[in-house]
Amino acid sequence: MRGRGRERIRKLWDEDLTKIQLKKSRKRAVIISTILYFGFLIIVLRLADLMILDHRNLARRAYTQYLTVRTLHPQRGFIWDRRMREMAVNLEVDSLYAVPSKIEDVDYLSQRLSPIIEISADAIRDRLLKKKERDFIWLKRKIDQQTSHKLVKFKKIYGIDSIGLITETRRFYPKGHTASHILGFTDIDDRGLEGIELQYDEYLRGKVRKILNSRDARGRSLSSGFEEAIAGNNIILTIDETIQYIVEREIERAVEKWRAKAATAIMMNPVSGEILAMANTPFYDPNHPSRYPADYRRNRAITDIYEPGSTFKSILASAALEEGLVDVDEEFDVSRGYIVVGGKAIRDVHRHETLTFREVIQKSSNVGAVQIGLRLGKERYYEYMKRFGFGDRTGIDLPGEVRGILRRPERWSGTSIAALSIGQEIGVTPLQILTAYCAIANGGLLMRPYVVSEIISPQGEVIKRFTPQVIRRVISPETAETVRDILKTVVEEGGTGRRAYIKGNLVAGKTGTAQMVDPETGRYSRDRYASSFVGFVPADDPVIALIVVIYEPKGARYGGVVAAPVFRRIVEHTLTYLEVPMERNENHILLVSR
Amino acid sequence: MTLKGTRGIIIPVFLLTGIGLLMVYSSTAVLSTRQYGNSFHYLLNHLFTVLIGVSAMFGVSRVDHQRLRGLGIPLLCFSLLLLLLVFVPHVGLSVNGARRWIRLWPTTFQPSELAKISMVIFLAGYMSGNIYRMKELRYGILIPAGVMVLFQLVILLQPDFGGVMNIGLLTIALLYLGGTRLRYLISMVLAALPAVYILIVSSPYRWKRVMAFLDPWADPFGSGFQLVQSFIAFGRGSIFGTGIGNSRQKLFFLPEAHTDFIFSLVGEEMGLVGAIIVIGLFVWLIAKGMHIAGGTEDHFSYYLSMGLTMMIGVQAIINIAVATGLMPTKGLPLPFISYGGSSLLVNMIAVGILINISEHNKRRALVIGHKRL
Repeated sequence: MRGRGRERIRKLWDEDLTKIQLKKSRKRAVIISTILYFGFLIIVLRLADLMILDHRNLARRAYTQYLTVRTLHPQRGFIWDRRMREMAVNLEVDSLYAVPSKIEDVDYLSQRLSPIIEISADAIRDRLLKKKERDFIWLKRKIDQQTSHKLVKFKKIYGIDSIGLITETRRFYPKGHTASHILGFTDIDDRGLEGIELQYDEYLRGKVRKILNSRDARGRSLSSGFEEAIAGNNIILTIDETIQYIVEREIERAVEKWRAKAATAIMMNPVSGEILAMANTPFYDPNHPSRYPADYRRNRAITDIYEPGSTFKSILASAALEEGLVDVDEEFDVSRGYIVVGGKAIRDVHRHETLTFREVIQKSSNVGAVQIGLRLGKERYYEYMKRFGFGDRTGIDLPGEVRGILRRPERWSGTSIAALSIGQEIGVTPLQILTAYCAIANGGLLMRPYVVSEIISPQGEVIKRFTPQVIRRVISPETAETVRDILKTVVEEGGTGRRAYIKGNLVAGKTGTAQMVDPETGRYSRDRYASSFVGFVPADDPVIALIVVIYEPKGARYGGVVAAPVFRRIVEHTLTYLEVPMERNENHILLVSR
Repeated sequence: MTLKGTRGIIIPVFLLTGIGLLMVYSSTAVLSTRQYGNSFHYLLNHLFTVLIGVSAMFGVSRVDHQRLRGLGIPLLCFSLLLLLLVFVPHVGLSVNGARRWIRLWPTTFQPSELAKISMVIFLAGYMSGNIYRMKELRYGILIPAGVMVLFQLVILLQPDFGGVMNIGLLTIALLYLGGTRLRYLISMVLAALPAVYILIVSSPYRWKRVMAFLDPWADPFGSGFQLVQSFIAFGRGSIFGTGIGNSRQKLFFLPEAHTDFIFSLVGEEMGLVGAIIVIGLFVWLIAKGMHIAGGTEDHFSYYLSMGLTMMIGVQAIINIAVATGLMPTKGLPLPFISYGGSSLLVNMIAVGILINISEHNKRRALVIGHKRL
């Protein structure tokens, strides 16, 4: 009882004091609750700021981050030769990428990766630490299969998910260096850089599809459905791989034999203008273009100019005949062995007494040619050179073609007419000469040379078909026939091109030997020559026209010695391959009957 | 039990919990479908926790809150034990480098939540027991602050800087209420500032967070990403919101959309109107809690009800202030709304205790015959 009472008293006392204490405490409670409510008020103001005043700005930001542009890379079109043999295809290869933001130890990873992908650890490190890109960077693109296997193992063993492989396509040229200058090559992103790859890039590359995607933050697309880029179109060349191979093999041999600096050969269908082969030595492998000097990648057939020398006499002859200024059997006095024009003497290699017009060409007499040139005169000669296409691009569908150099008559010097008569003071490309000879071969029409015959869609429809294109008539069919007859004699007994003679088929052609200009002195070099042979077979119904130019051969320099045998071998192999019938006898009969 | 008397506090709690269920489903449906193949995984988990929480709330409301008076110290010891268990391998669970959870099959528990409510119960008991000595340096600040710092150190090891701040703010507010001299409290805060500074500077992760808080737009795709995404969510919401379920930000742009940043989602889907409604419900809850405190006639009940109310209120304010960029990022859930069992359960229990205190006030009022307003 006593205890109970004491407790009761304490409780009462307690309660009084409690009330006093609580009163004081409640003041503090008001302060605390005020602070809390004030906090909420500030938050509401902040919300109004974000949600009303900043609404537009933030909503626009939101919109842009929900959209992403996804790029779908198409399969690049194939390139086939005229018999549908694959010249350029695509391979599926792996590319190595990294997600820098996911990497835990950059140094470690760089050191481990370095021996596998053969890039120095420092270089990898630098790339990984680049500030800008945190989500995705390429480490090495288009790696070979072995490396790819190693990387897959490496990923597994070390459990690294900050690097990965993506399948890409890589351009592959199954024939290696064959037709390298025609095909060209592509960059790492499959964009054409040279040759057909560049010229027809817009057809080959297909359409990159950019898809505007709504996405979530992990980059997953919110729209579904299967989408694919539109593959590029395929290209069929006029080139014949076998002929191309023959041509390349033969000029390579010639370059080796004569220790020449370079060589070019082009074969064309003289009637249509289709290029059957176009080769240059040195060449390169388009699968690894960067391993070769730029010099090797040049398509000399259309980018290099040289002085044509005697091969140009056919142009002169055509002009003179077309103008009716000479007769085939008219005689020219060349007994002095030289002729002076504008104070400069032009000499013959061999001395002759008198030569008929035909023989001037056959024996390639400079003195005779100059006389014809003088008779023709500046203006008319210039006119014919223009009409044969000199000083102009042939219009071939390959990039980098040059015009050559043909000066206007007003700027000629006193000796120019003589020089031009023997193919000097003019810069031509091998293709220009060949195209001009094709006009002689086909009865007088200058054709546009071309290397692509058809462009075919991935579905197999023909998108574009290229047909022979006549640029202009240069000479009459009669004149052309006369010149053809003259050119036939070049490879016969007494001609300069004996070594181009082919058993069974009649060759019409012309040799050429020209001094080259020394790039250092700007004058004719004593030991640098461009030896050439250009012609067509069979002479009366030409199937192929071919030019062979050997630059700077050592030991010999005459086109008849250096280039004519190459011409012969190429044509022999090609005619066998094309199964062109022997027609020597028929021609003989034809000749006799005329 | 009559619902009539407790209606005032239960209505905002239920409304908040209902909004929470809605927002948890909205924010996790896509995530759940990706992870589990159905959109209800997180929702069902959350619903289960809500049911347990509501049962616990009503259960606790039937227990006389005065019994808690002696439970402060045992509860503190228990939660300290759990906090240490976090560091035991296989028992503690590490997420993103932070060890804040213990495995409790089939779910997990966050001991710092228990520590928070234990601290409130302990302080309520301690302050009411030392009511005349609270002005003294030793009883008013040294002893309670010592306990606080002990817990803060353990939580800091997890590390959970948010939890440290939360317990600190709560303790200071309660001690202020309990009569500790203001100058002691201010000195303590000033003494703590260098420690806070060192903590921030010493850890690049905290430094980054503070920098991101000061200028989130400086690195919107790096350290500022979370905050910028939160702003964008609010900005998209405008006045009336994009509509429930229409959030785009939840599609992995806004990290932790169902936990720490669920309020941003409320802003995006329900607009300023919805955000203000949620804040209004919290204000209602706090006002009701303080009203209950006002009705108490003993120190323990008073401190307890004030403490529990502040526990909920302070956490709500910190969470929302963080989402709106007013405070540096902390991993604190929004009471009653965020997904996460420990927090919900502890807050429900707190409400249960408040209901019980309120019941006592009513009964006493009936007996005495007058009603305190």
